[in-house]
Amino acid sequence: MSFVVVAALAVGLLVAIPLAAHYLRRGRARSQEFPPAALVPKRPPIARRMNRLEDRFLLLVRLLMVAALALLGAIPLVRCSRLSLGREAGASVAFALVVDDSLSMRATTDTGKSRWVLAQAGARQLLRSAREGDAVAIILAGRPARLALAATTDLDAARRAVEELRISDRATDLAGAVQLARSSLRQLPHVDKRVVLLSDLADTAAPDGDPPSWAPLAKLRQPMANCGVVQAEQRGRRVDATVACSSAGSARKRRLEVVVDSPQTDSTNARAAHLDEAPEAGRVLTSESLAVRSGTQTVGVEVGTPGADLSVRLTGTDAIAHDDVAPVAPEDSALGIAAVVDRTAASVLTGGMTTVEQALLALQGAATVRPLTLLPDDLRELRAYAAIVLDDPPGLPAEARAALSEWLERGGVALALLGPRVQAVQLGSTLEPFASGAVRWQQQPESDSIDLTSLSWLGSEATSLADLGARGRAELPGAPMADTRVLARWGDGNPWLLERTVGRGVALTAGLPASVELSDFALRPAFVALLDHVMSLATARAGPLRSVAGSVWSFPAVEASIQGPDGALEIRETGTEAQRPDEGDTARRIATVELAGRYRVKLGEVSQVRIVTLDPQEVSRQPSKLDARAQDDGTSAGTSQVDASAELALLLLLLFAAELVMRLLLRTRRQASART
Amino acid sequence: MPSRGGPARWGGAERVNAEIRQALDWGLLAPLHLTARTVADGVYAGVHRSPKRGAGIEFGGHRNYVPGDDLRWLDRHALMRHTRLLVREFETETDRTLRLVLDATRSMSFRSPEAPGAKLAYAAVVAAALARIALASGDPVALDWLGGRDCRALPGTAGREAFDRIVGALQDATPGGDLTSDPAVVERSLLPVARHARRGSIVVLLSDLLDLPRAAPERLAALATHRRTVVAVRVLDPVEATFPFEGPVRLRSSEGSVLVETDGAAAREGYLAALEGIAAELEDTLVPRGGKVVRAVTTDDPVAVVRSILAAAGGEAA
Repeated sequence: MSFVVVAALAVGLLVAIPLAAHYLRRGRARSQEFPPAALVPKRPPIARRMNRLEDRFLLLVRLLMVAALALLGAIPLVRCSRLSLGREAGASVAFALVVDDSLSMRATTDTGKSRWVLAQAGARQLLRSAREGDAVAIILAGRPARLALAATTDLDAARRAVEELRISDRATDLAGAVQLARSSLRQLPHVDKRVVLLSDLADTAAPDGDPPSWAPLAKLRQPMANCGVVQAEQRGRRVDATVACSSAGSARKRRLEVVVDSPQTDSTNARAAHLDEAPEAGRVLTSESLAVRSGTQTVGVEVGTPGADLSVRLTGTDAIAHDDVAPVAPEDSALGIAAVVDRTAASVLTGGMTTVEQALLALQGAATVRPLTLLPDDLRELRAYAAIVLDDPPGLPAEARAALSEWLERGGVALALLGPRVQAVQLGSTLEPFASGAVRWQQQPESDSIDLTSLSWLGSEATSLADLGARGRAELPGAPMADTRVLARWGDGNPWLLERTVGRGVALTAGLPASVELSDFALRPAFVALLDHVMSLATARAGPLRSVAGSVWSFPAVEASIQGPDGALEIRETGTEAQRPDEGDTARRIATVELAGRYRVKLGEVSQVRIVTLDPQEVSRQPSKLDARAQDDGTSAGTSQVDASAELALLLLLLFAAELVMRLLLRTRRQASART
Repeated sequence: MPSRGGPARWGGAERVNAEIRQALDWGLLAPLHLTARTVADGVYAGVHRSPKRGAGIEFGGHRNYVPGDDLRWLDRHALMRHTRLLVREFETETDRTLRLVLDATRSMSFRSPEAPGAKLAYAAVVAAALARIALASGDPVALDWLGGRDCRALPGTAGREAFDRIVGALQDATPGGDLTSDPAVVERSLLPVARHARRGSIVVLLSDLLDLPRAAPERLAALATHRRTVVAVRVLDPVEATFPFEGPVRLRSSEGSVLVETDGAAAREGYLAALEGIAAELEDTLVPRGGKVVRAVTTDDPVAVVRSILAAAGGEAA
């Protein structure tokens, strides 16, 4: 603030003059000697009332006049704290607003407003300072980073886009958002380009680059004390909840409560509980104290078999109340995978789990692996699984084939690793739907390695199958069944991996078993990649029963509806997208889950409950520090001048007029009272 | 010598010393000696006719005889001519003592900016003029005080030096005293007047008639016995006479501790009525006994006021 401003504002101190005059006048109100004072009739009420009327109104008007005069002298040097864009020689600016819509932006700041509200207000202020010719792009920094508005000079569209932004429970992807922002500005002809970070920076540091990023709102980066429930899962009679805390202090004196969410449930809990009376909603079943430490901790509590949908919640308050409650995922919400494996053939010499089970567990997905000795021939049992892996099956009996076919029709994914047993298929058993007719096992194959070029879709792990040195192979039929495609071939061109579409499901057939005695195929990374492919196919069809906020759910072309914690979730058609080069284009229907919580999905006649959880880092990570250059670079102004001279001058005139009117009124009233 | 340029009693400076504050504000009325002479010269100067009839040298007319009349004055020639008993009357020139009673209480020191001087100064001018006129006629003049400090009372004296003594006593007077706190002052002051005033004396009271005790009119009227004439001259400041205040005011009395907060315009009518009520009450008491009340404001011409007093003392309407 310059000397001129200080001097002008010092004029405001002159308000003391009318104030002092007021008190002096009130105190001594024209007291004078008058010998016959005893003869004068007293009229104190009238005198005081008139005195008060005149004094108070006139005093107020005069004080306001002096204050307005002082402000008028100071303007336009008065600065208001408001974000705006500084300009170099008045040139147009291209800037990308990186707005963080992650969960941590829900934290309440010391102003009483959430970080998200402050960020949105900052975006509005910046857009208000933009001029014609400026270009703006809006990027959302929730994981994954998304382009909310491509770079445009239509400022009205940008303002509308800012108003339509909604906060989510996503994790933060600041690096991706900054890169996206830079790429969105790259093609613009503007010389002056900016990347504005309206984020709490609760993520890894943004990458350096050009244009540099500018984070103007320091209030967003205030540390927070927060605990949140990342996820909760029911396992038998227990509920295990994962809680993340930003500091030990935030976990102090806090408990985790298990609460009945709603008596009705779609899970098998109610059936398992065999309860005549369902517990009432809101009832606290049990609670457990949190360990006083920062980071992630698992809190387990016994709940029995309540027969209801459960939620867990944290007592006490913290910066983000939104993440203090989470639904409990039912036990059967994990993706079930059945591994039909002969332990004697598919185990390593040291014993333990089979190689198939070990590979599935290595994927560390939200899947439950269940080893089976025989493939169930009942469809109801198969429904518990999203994927089935059969290692060296000795043929499938008719009942199992029928159940498997129907299961595949409904969206199941099965992988058959054919081995030497294909030659010992029993009477009445076949390998359908994996292969038609007889499959022969070759002891001394013409080629013992995989054609890696045909397996490139599997990714970099495909190279691990080089020099496989298999001591045998199942000779898959050269003329495959209908709806069957060859995904990979042996070095001599014979098919090694087939994929057959059966209804909504997929049947994969590989010409090599998991047995380590015949090859080390099961020990190569490509084997895990192949199982991961199976899992992703199963997840895509069965749906991710557990996913993280920000995930995209895709749906087949059946009627689907989703009810989330925020009401119905929109399912929208996207453009065609090729999943693999040889797959062809497929229309997708997707829904993006922005909020954590319980979702009820209805696919045709099938209903399922899906749980969306939080990223633990998002709950507990504190804002990272920013270098000074990013906090306030010289080309961007954090404050702006506001010229309100015209308004204040008008106010001053009005006050003058008010004083004149008031004096006239007082005079008229006094004369009237004198007459009476 | 009286103080020139009196203290600022009307919202004036506060730093005048106590001596000046207590002195009388003569204003435009100083010097008293010359002012009084000028006023007296303006008044008809002449020997007044004595209202006393009886034994004398100048025939004054006839009247019917009533039993008890002195038979020496029975007119035999008139009896023979008119066959009625008539008594001869003669006008005799006698001296009539003028007793001046001046109110020198604190309220008499008041002077507003519009006034030529304080009320006491104005009363002193009138009193001195009256004294000069009386002395010129050979009548003795006495001076008495109501309140005041360092006030010298003078017995009835005549002669050339009497005027100078009276003027000196008037100049030396300092206003003081509070009638509200000491109501007996009136009785103490009027008692010697009643004792020393001879038959036919003229008693002139110059006062603002403010703060007088309730019994004061009766005490004053009691002087109007033994053919004595009492004239009460009410001297007011123009501010007191008109009450020109507007808006909220706080008024403080000179005597007593009265502090009134009022609105000037609203209180004017009531005040003027109360002020006139005091004079009317005194008038109601004095007139039946041959007394008169003369109203004067310090801005009035003193010559006219003196003439009014003389007229009142001569039995005419004021």
